[in-house]
Amino acid sequence: MALLEVEGASVDYGRGRVLDDVSLSVGEGEIVTVLGANGAGKTTLLRAIAGATRLAAGRVTYDGAPLDGLSIGERLARGIVLVPEGRRILISLTIEENLLVGAHQRRDTAAVRKDIAAIYERFPNLAQRRHMAAWCLSGGEQQMLAIGRAIVARPRLMMLDEPSLGLSPLFVNTLFGLIVELNRGGLTVLLVEQNAGKALAIAHHATVIELGRVVVAGDPRALQADPRLREAYLGQGDDAAAGPIEPILQRGTGV
Amino acid sequence: MIAQQLVNGVMLGAIYVMVALAFTLAIGILNFMNFSIPGLFMAGGMATWILIHRGVPWWAAAVVALIVAAAISLAVERLSYRPSNEGDVEVPLVSSLGFLVLLQSLVLATVGSDQQAFPAVLGDLNLRIGGLVIGAAQVLSLAISMVLVIGLTVALKSTSFGRQIRSIAESRETATLLGIDVGAVIPRVFVISAVTAALGGVLFALNYLQVSPFMGENVGFKGVAAMIVGGMGSVWGAVLGGLLIGVAEVLSIRLFGADTVDIAVYGLLLVLLVVRPQGLLGKPPAREKL
Repeated sequence: MALLEVEGASVDYGRGRVLDDVSLSVGEGEIVTVLGANGAGKTTLLRAIAGATRLAAGRVTYDGAPLDGLSIGERLARGIVLVPEGRRILISLTIEENLLVGAHQRRDTAAVRKDIAAIYERFPNLAQRRHMAAWCLSGGEQQMLAIGRAIVARPRLMMLDEPSLGLSPLFVNTLFGLIVELNRGGLTVLLVEQNAGKALAIAHHATVIELGRVVVAGDPRALQADPRLREAYLGQGDDAAAGPIEPILQRGTGV
Repeated sequence: MIAQQLVNGVMLGAIYVMVALAFTLAIGILNFMNFSIPGLFMAGGMATWILIHRGVPWWAAAVVALIVAAAISLAVERLSYRPSNEGDVEVPLVSSLGFLVLLQSLVLATVGSDQQAFPAVLGDLNLRIGGLVIGAAQVLSLAISMVLVIGLTVALKSTSFGRQIRSIAESRETATLLGIDVGAVIPRVFVISAVTAALGGVLFALNYLQVSPFMGENVGFKGVAAMIVGGMGSVWGAVLGGLLIGVAEVLSIRLFGADTVDIAVYGLLLVLLVVRPQGLLGKPPAREKL
């Protein structure tokens, strides 16, 4: 049985429907990636699962129970943790305080300290500057801090929204290595990415959405191998491979 | 004799500190210029006076007055701040000013516009150090305001609640996304701010042995000036600004006469705004977001 089940999720924003009848399943211990161009509705999907955006239709089931009406905090308490788009580090707080904010629901102070110590061990860059304001961090370090902040919340499902955006290639490798490492430790991951190649390489399942709708879902290796899919949805194919899928793209350009 | 004036100035400043603190919490955390604060200051002093007249022991009267102020402040949060959450910052500013007028009018209608004598509940206890005379109420004011400031600083810095408040102050949206219950934290900030202001009102009454429906206005504007002098949103700025304005006020009375008080206080504010617009301990603007 899947840990997370999204069925027919739709979200309206203003007069437009930004998420339209999206279904998705994430099994316990899996990495599932959601791919798609800018504005496809990926962030909206994650926000809806996290409880930050209200569903116009459909439902989200987590660990066998519907999440309807639960606040972000209540979902957090059940282990659903979002690493938001743009990292959203609190720059006026110190690095350590950012980590402690991530653990704000936990009362087991000693265990929180241990979790934070483990994060410092994994990221010495953060440890060195733990008492400095977080604005001194580079983009990559901020992303590590954002993930660290999510880890101390003790997630069961971690959702990452474009974590590789704006990072140097070196940091992108570190980041994907970390995601795999966390997953091997038992964490279920829902990963939204524009870096399709890297995301497909580590995912167990992939879903491609375009203009709020699921267009392809399945085995990431099959998606990776299909040049037409890569061309049409992932923006990384070559011109020669373009073909029958073009009409879908044209439909998209009208909005 | 100038030393005695300095002592008096610091003691008056301690009361301005509390009002400035109440304002600076609202501005720094909620980005809300809460003009009901002078009303809460008055409510603190006035409710204590009313209860003492009904035969309640003064300390119990003061505690009840603080609870009353906290309740009023929760009403301000619910009726003035929360409804205009997403809108212009000027809307709650004006409606909180409405609360000030409402509170003053309520007292006017029930007690009248006269200044009332507040009993000298602390008696004639005076400390004499060298040639200086320091009243018990003065010592109490300074002690309470310093305890409050240090307590707030520690709470903001080192408790989970404090970190949640600072997260909200930096970005309400991020705090929400991180699962912080913003809707539960904000009313508590209103209560802290209100109790601080009302405590200032109680201490003012204990020190100057008078209360009136308008006692909050004069002190309130000095408190705003103190907050701006110190730096908006800074707790220690409120302390520095409050003490500076208290001393400036007492010294200007001593040196130039009572008519020059406002010139001295607001002159100080004007000069400072020209020289250092962000206030003495304030951070320059444009640090927010991202």
